[in-house]
Amino acid sequence: MLSIAHYFFLSFALFLIGVIGVVMRRNVIIVLMSIELILNAVNINLVAFSRLFGDAAGQVFALFIIADAAAEAVVGLAIMIAFFRHPDSLFADETDLLKW
Amino acid sequence: MPDSVVFYIFAVIAVVTAALMVTRRNAWHGAVCLITTLLATAGIFLQLHAGFLFIVQIILYVSGIMVLFVFVIMCVNLNVAMQQMKFARQKWVALMVCVVLVAQLALIIWSLRKIPSQGLPVFVSVAPERVPPTTQEVAKSLFGPYLLSFEIVSVMLLVAMIGAVALTKKKM
Amino acid sequence: MHRASIPLLLYALLVTAFPVVALLVARSKRPALTVLGAKLYPHESGIPPEDGAPGKYSVRFFIFATLFVIFEVQMMFLIPWAISFRGWVAAHMAVFALIWMVISLGILFVGYTWLRRHGHCSGPE
Repeated sequence: MLSIAHYFFLSFALFLIGVIGVVMRRNVIIVLMSIELILNAVNINLVAFSRLFGDAAGQVFALFIIADAAAEAVVGLAIMIAFFRHPDSLFADETDLLKW
Repeated sequence: MPDSVVFYIFAVIAVVTAALMVTRRNAWHGAVCLITTLLATAGIFLQLHAGFLFIVQIILYVSGIMVLFVFVIMCVNLNVAMQQMKFARQKWVALMVCVVLVAQLALIIWSLRKIPSQGLPVFVSVAPERVPPTTQEVAKSLFGPYLLSFEIVSVMLLVAMIGAVALTKKKM
Repeated sequence: MHRASIPLLLYALLVTAFPVVALLVARSKRPALTVLGAKLYPHESGIPPEDGAPGKYSVRFFIFATLFVIFEVQMMFLIPWAISFRGWVAAHMAVFALIWMVISLGILFVGYTWLRRHGHCSGPE
């Protein structure tokens, strides 16, 4: 019998994996993809609670989060491409120059 | 019973491919793993009777955002990245942060052991008489109390669009 | 919901099975690989072949995909609006509903005019 705990633990597991990916990986693309994973985990949680309470606000919030994730992916990837135009360096812990 | 089976299938696929994605050295493999994770998440949305979010997830996330990632992986030369260290220098700190998060969750569940009328609070099931919200209700909620947020989202989209195009223009 | 999900699950099974079956049939039908090792790499007159064959991939694809995603997000907000429009017409709120969607689309239309003016809307010359 499914309870809210199942969805909550699934969301927490995905969130934890996303956090590991963001903090521990050097490749910037993998970091950006882990951020998307975190946002998805939050979405699962929201939709599960929306189903529990019968309230549509959870799904509305999840829709806003998806729209926000789209905009953020767009800008993050554009920043990455702007980095690539200059000498290619993809390491998140080496990009510490603000302007060159 | 079929509810549980479907949930477990999608949940296992989501968690396994997410773990795979985080540990891939090749960004292509990571992108394919993330696509699988997002599809499994869409399946979870469908299992939660959120039909509209299921569609939005597939159309927007998988075939919008992941296509963006794929284009960028092709634009950027990743051969140097593939030969270097996979994990950053602070990996033990990261693992400790995750242990702390798990400990926080365990503490919360432990301290909320019993709500007098319901037992352990995390094992509340969905009440069978609660109807899941339909797309109509989502729309009414979206354009009712959250109308201002919706307008602000279109401003945010405008900012993202112009910002992204301005960042990747030819003359830098 | 269970009744309605069965064709969806069948379709998902079919979609998953199709590439698997295609690859398995192809593997069983094609002749086995008879060369090994260095003969598999493209010949470059004795110089060891280096990586990086894709070359210069145009950023224009990324810009178009960006514009697609942005307008797609707006479309995702348009869908429930369109679904509920008839209900708003019945509740005499049609004009208000139209106004706020036109405002939202107008904000994106401003962006669209900026793009047109800066030449991002025409294809490769």
